[in-house]
Amino acid sequence: MKQKKKRIGALALIFVLTLSMILSGCSSKSSSSEKGNKNQTTVTFWHPMTDVTGEAVDAVIKEFEKQNPDIKINAVYTANQGEGQNEKLMTAISGGNPPDVAYFDRFEIGSWAAQGSLEDLTQLAASSGVTKDTYYPFAWDEANYQGKLYGIPTTTDSRLVYFNINHFKEAGLDPENPPKTIAELEAAAEKLTKKKGKRFERIGFIPWFGQGWFYGWGWSFGGEFFNTETNKATATDPKVVEALQWITDYAKKYNVEDIAGFTDSQGQGAMDPFLTGQLSMKVSGPWEVSAIKKFKPDLKYGVFPMPTPTGENHTTWSGGWSVVIPKGAKNKDAAWEFMKFFGGEEGQKIFSGIARDFSVIDSVNGELGYKEDPILKEFVNILPVSHHRPVMTQGSLYWNELASAVENATRGNGTPEELLEKVNEKVNKELSK
Amino acid sequence: MDAARKKKVSVFSAHIVLIIASFFFMIPFIWMVSTSLKPLTQVFTFPPEWIPKPVKWSNYIDAMNYIPFFTYLKNTIIITVLSTVGAVLSCPIVAYSFAKLKWPGRNILFIITIGVMMIPGQVTMIPLFLLFEKLGMVGTPYPLILPAFFGIPFYIFLLRQFFMGLPDSLREAAKIDGASEFRIYWQIMLPLAKPAVLAVGLFQFMASWTDFIGPLLYLTDSVQYTLSLGLQQFQSQKGSEWGLMMAVSTMMTIPVVILFFFLQKTFIKGITFSGIK
Amino acid sequence: MKGNIQLAENKNSPKTESINQINITAKKRLPNGGQYKTGILFASPWIIGLLVFYAIPLFSSIYFSFTTYSILQPGEFIGLQNYKDLLKDQLFWKSVYNTVYFAVFYVPLGIIFGVALAMMLNMKVKGMAVYRTIFFLPTLVPHVALAVLWMWLLNPGFGLVNGILSTIGIEGPSWLGSETWSKPSLILMSLWGIGQAVVIYLAGLGDIPEDYYDAANVDGANWFQKTFHITLPLLTPVIFFNLVMGIIGAFQQFTLPYTLTQGKGTPANSLTFYVMYLYDNGFKFFKMGYASAMAWVLFVIVMALTAFVFLTSKRWVHYQGK
Repeated sequence: MKQKKKRIGALALIFVLTLSMILSGCSSKSSSSEKGNKNQTTVTFWHPMTDVTGEAVDAVIKEFEKQNPDIKINAVYTANQGEGQNEKLMTAISGGNPPDVAYFDRFEIGSWAAQGSLEDLTQLAASSGVTKDTYYPFAWDEANYQGKLYGIPTTTDSRLVYFNINHFKEAGLDPENPPKTIAELEAAAEKLTKKKGKRFERIGFIPWFGQGWFYGWGWSFGGEFFNTETNKATATDPKVVEALQWITDYAKKYNVEDIAGFTDSQGQGAMDPFLTGQLSMKVSGPWEVSAIKKFKPDLKYGVFPMPTPTGENHTTWSGGWSVVIPKGAKNKDAAWEFMKFFGGEEGQKIFSGIARDFSVIDSVNGELGYKEDPILKEFVNILPVSHHRPVMTQGSLYWNELASAVENATRGNGTPEELLEKVNEKVNKELSK
Repeated sequence: MDAARKKKVSVFSAHIVLIIASFFFMIPFIWMVSTSLKPLTQVFTFPPEWIPKPVKWSNYIDAMNYIPFFTYLKNTIIITVLSTVGAVLSCPIVAYSFAKLKWPGRNILFIITIGVMMIPGQVTMIPLFLLFEKLGMVGTPYPLILPAFFGIPFYIFLLRQFFMGLPDSLREAAKIDGASEFRIYWQIMLPLAKPAVLAVGLFQFMASWTDFIGPLLYLTDSVQYTLSLGLQQFQSQKGSEWGLMMAVSTMMTIPVVILFFFLQKTFIKGITFSGIK
Repeated sequence: MKGNIQLAENKNSPKTESINQINITAKKRLPNGGQYKTGILFASPWIIGLLVFYAIPLFSSIYFSFTTYSILQPGEFIGLQNYKDLLKDQLFWKSVYNTVYFAVFYVPLGIIFGVALAMMLNMKVKGMAVYRTIFFLPTLVPHVALAVLWMWLLNPGFGLVNGILSTIGIEGPSWLGSETWSKPSLILMSLWGIGQAVVIYLAGLGDIPEDYYDAANVDGANWFQKTFHITLPLLTPVIFFNLVMGIIGAFQQFTLPYTLTQGKGTPANSLTFYVMYLYDNGFKFFKMGYASAMAWVLFVIVMALTAFVFLTSKRWVHYQGK
């Protein structure tokens, strides 16, 4: 018995020793957030930016701190923030200990605001004279939910169709006069496509590839996806159905499973079929320009707006980022100062200049020369008529549902009407909760 | 054919089979190492090029400068080593109790132990986070270390199976000699379960070494970050730095490969009970 | 040690203790009063751990499953509504189908391949340390890298797999692009990463006393007899473990298909697995209550399967204990 006690004592000792090891090993818990002098307010800022965007945000912070010596920004890189992955921010807010400012996917402002997890900025904006007039209308609207402001927009983009000039010439198409209507697009695609058996040597165009999300086509066909007044999804808008019908017919014509080989390798750098010359036209955003420069600098290409049935009223849609104050943040006023600077003309010039993302302020894009670049200017010029995805509580659900409706329609698992009807049903049921 | 030749043939064919199979199992690793030595423009070429030309060793240096590599490495080592120590100390004794000692409620508790593994972590993640928030441990590595000291169901179940497989006769013999339960466990049963305990240590080491969601949620300051969080930093909105990312992955993998190489010896068949009694 | 070979054969008779008999053994009066104090003492770290780190989260999630909890808002109590909604949710059923499909193929194949590989790696040939390490390698490569690599290998036009198939005159399918082939592709990928199970089998093989084989050799047993009368029966406790964990793991399949399809479950939701859909509900659609209900439905399914495995284990799991 004695022996046993001794042994257990020894084990307990090991336990205690190891635990104390943890304590000493980890008590070096950093306190970098507390450094700086006493009069300084420290604003914690979580963002997922690395590489050039990281450098850009550092430059903004540096300039801001120079101008506001009483505020220190503690920028913390946070993996998986935005684009539907927000575990860390969510847990931090629910735990009552969020950062003062977070870099935030503008698309998600509506649903997060509806959850009461973002601070209302309307008052702060009014008292500092930050108004809608400064920004592109879609960017400002996307940061508002039910008439209240929840974020300051910082970046944006848009979507156009890229085309390979050499392919156009080879197929006898005029690169100076790219397709304007859907019919012209289809005709061009047919001429550009080369198929051997089940295998494509080259595809003219894949409507849903790259940034060919359904929102873009729906709007190009003149449809509407959401009714703000009734707070209802309108996926069965006849024009929207028409858009999906067109995509479905397209898929049938070229046999969707044969196309799948290209689509499942999408977005992988130099392997992108547009860069390798296997795809002649592709919907994408302005970032494609730098990818081409990096991987295929000799590629001759141009851009044109997404075609519409009539060849008029070309449009697109834009996403982008913003800065928000999560609910429960401690230093709201200092946080606001930083946001105002970041989203203001000065901060925008620094940020957009380094990151090469479009600014949400038109004049800044002009000053940075985006309107003179032969390709980029097309992207900037369409911004005033660009759409933003609906600001709603179920934005992510609607997005996913639309994406899978397109998938199922193209693969023949139901007609466009049926599938969109189901989307409507599911989304509206959640909206009415 | 005489026996010696027969043996030779069978050894030879075993090698052939193993070499062919090895080839398939090596593809991911070779790809990782080869990508780690390529410039970004070569990463996705068709047909795939397995040997980078030129070999870009500078990826490794660039990667270590891109993220604070050594800080992250230190943090990862601290967390991994401590949580492995925790799991190796706590799980075998609990498992032994489940397998060989009889006490009321044991079976119910064992069923619960298996049951808790069936609830996906995605659901318990938030309540657990709130718990650690209340304990004031968010922003420290404790939530990543402490639970291991109290047992992890997967390993408890695994070790229980091993202890169940050990003959009771050993225990009874030791008992007759007057050994205490702890002594039986520590000096007889635990050494016999050594392969399994080392496997548990290896698994916990790997799990902790590559854990992403834990560090993501609980560490709030970049000086505390681990390598798996660092790996994410190579992915940006403008495309990923595959070469650098794979360089860090390779550096993260090598220690585990070495660890495995040395541990696997203990898995070799050949326990002789007669020697123990 | 002469008695040993007989002992091994005994394993095949139903006399041996097995898991589901624990109830019976528990009912037997305890032979030693002191044992249960020690038993509880030895188990105490886990009892504490269970209460502290598991009880609260688990009970919370049961409660959440009856509410509209969204992580950011506590939500309201809605009784069984989440469970009722699940029954009508088509994507839920689709995810159940996908997950069951995966489990039905992956679990048995995983065991067969795992045991076979482990036995191969347990041979006494030179350089085995290297082979073992190689077979373990795929489990060490990060998932992001694995996902990209597979998309590359399985690319219908240029991938290595279809390249090899075409040299023998077979036109390969479009694998991950095809609704029919996406799940088989995933099963194939998952089998690549069975290194962990192999390690467990190897440890199990290491626990089989050498004496048994020596005795069998004396009796002139061939490889086949040794495998089926010594190795496999004595490995059953470990096979049993891997079977149960394989079922639990297969039903919680998440990381690989999630990274592979960037969370979308493409094509046409054919790779939307149960926990992926659960995750989307909890973290994207603000329906953690609904996700919690899904978790408990999963619990019931997996628990039922596990209970079934436990019940049958009497027939085929042989412990050396007793």
